[in-house]
Amino acid sequence: MPKRKVVINIENVVASATLDQKIDLSAIMKVFRNVEYRPKQFPGLVFRLKRPKTATLIFASGKMVCTGSKSEQQARSAVKKVVRELQNNGIIILSKPKIVIQNIVASANLGGSIDLEEAVRRMENVMYEPEQFPGLIYRMEDPKVVMLLFASGKLVCTGAKNEQMVREAVEKLHKMLEEEGLIYYE
Amino acid sequence: MNEVEKKRSRAMVCPECGSTDLIRDYEAGEIVCERCGYVISTILFDTGPEWRAFDEEQREKRTRVGAPLTWTIHDKGLSTVIDWHDSDIYGRKLKPKQKARIYRLRKWHRRSKVSGATERNLAYALSELTKVAYKLNLPKNVLETASVIYRQVVRKRLIRGRSIQGVAAASIYMACRQCNVIRTLEEVAKASNTSKKEGGRNYRFLLRNLNTKVLPVNPNNYVSKFISQLSLSGNAESLAIKIIKIASELKLTSGRGPAGVAAAATYIASLLTDERRTQGEIAKGAHVTEVTIRNRYKELIQKLYIKVKL
Repeated sequence: MPKRKVVINIENVVASATLDQKIDLSAIMKVFRNVEYRPKQFPGLVFRLKRPKTATLIFASGKMVCTGSKSEQQARSAVKKVVRELQNNGIIILSKPKIVIQNIVASANLGGSIDLEEAVRRMENVMYEPEQFPGLIYRMEDPKVVMLLFASGKLVCTGAKNEQMVREAVEKLHKMLEEEGLIYYE
Repeated sequence: MNEVEKKRSRAMVCPECGSTDLIRDYEAGEIVCERCGYVISTILFDTGPEWRAFDEEQREKRTRVGAPLTWTIHDKGLSTVIDWHDSDIYGRKLKPKQKARIYRLRKWHRRSKVSGATERNLAYALSELTKVAYKLNLPKNVLETASVIYRQVVRKRLIRGRSIQGVAAASIYMACRQCNVIRTLEEVAKASNTSKKEGGRNYRFLLRNLNTKVLPVNPNNYVSKFISQLSLSGNAESLAIKIIKIASELKLTSGRGPAGVAAAATYIASLLTDERRTQGEIAKGAHVTEVTIRNRYKELIQKLYIKVKL
């Protein structure tokens, strides 16, 4: 059985951060030209960075949400960069942001085909409704993530809080699929 | 050996001929010897249950009286009604004064049958379920199952924030799946005036929260439906089923919609048996697109090495 190495690719990391102070969004709006702020539509201000390519939502309460980065590291540096940009342009920031990673979305390829019909019989906490969605939805208890498995052997893993969790989850799943004989290689 | 068992073992032998072949005749209430016909006892107690039960739940309750319950009515069909005859127990007409009183009573009786918003909603939802089931020509057991599912949802307080129509469609669909009655989500959603999206969303929600496992539909179940819709022969049906069997062994059905696979198999079977139906005709009945049929068709004939003359 030619077992190929599983390639995991992190697609998106969502981090939240708080500055513990009120921020005047319209002041930011005046200084920066590349931000979006339409209080009638959405109370947050969208601050887009070119590098790393992320979008950060800034709220008047001083809380921020950073989306679009490809790693934990990148998410942290993106938030820091946004804060630095604000400081450099005369917005007073009193403290360092407290950053928490909220969600990681990753994709992976197990390199073989998965028998979804058999999997739904053998596994717990799964849902497979081919009439509605071609993937099998598997809610793993530990680590607590949700995975979408496809017949092609590709999968999407969401809900992880750190990169280690993603690796653990994919490895655990791969091992289980092989033990149960639910995955086969061409 | 204790006292009771001793007595019993003595009674198990016929005192006339010593045979142990005794018949317990519950209708006559007698114990009779099978060999010599001696009546050993004329007072035989029926040790069976003195209550009646039509299903598991009633067996548990051990109720002694009443008509069979139905889950499709909010009070399980157990309520009484004051009728409209305006006559008393002897058949005499009521006096005008009494008539007015009974009229009022009847009105309030009807109103008080449904108490509170939850029950009113339940009554409404159950009548909705019944309506949908009739539209889809569903058998009674599916409707009962759907009603039980809906009640479970209500009991678990999962209705909040969801539309009655949506949850009704989801319950009906789930009941169909559990009872092996083939209806696509589209059909159910259409009959209950919701979108497939809404119905599917609610169905997935129910699956998650009711801890039920429903296995995916076997494409075979669709085949017989399509075959009869297109009035194809039995030959075509068995051929289509054979195609699906091989396809599922080759794992060609994994991750594919069962309706699409079944439609393609039906299409191939119709070609092979010279009863050609167009992809469009099949697609219409199967609620899948022609493109889906075409793709599945290509996959199947390639992997199964089927030669089709066009």
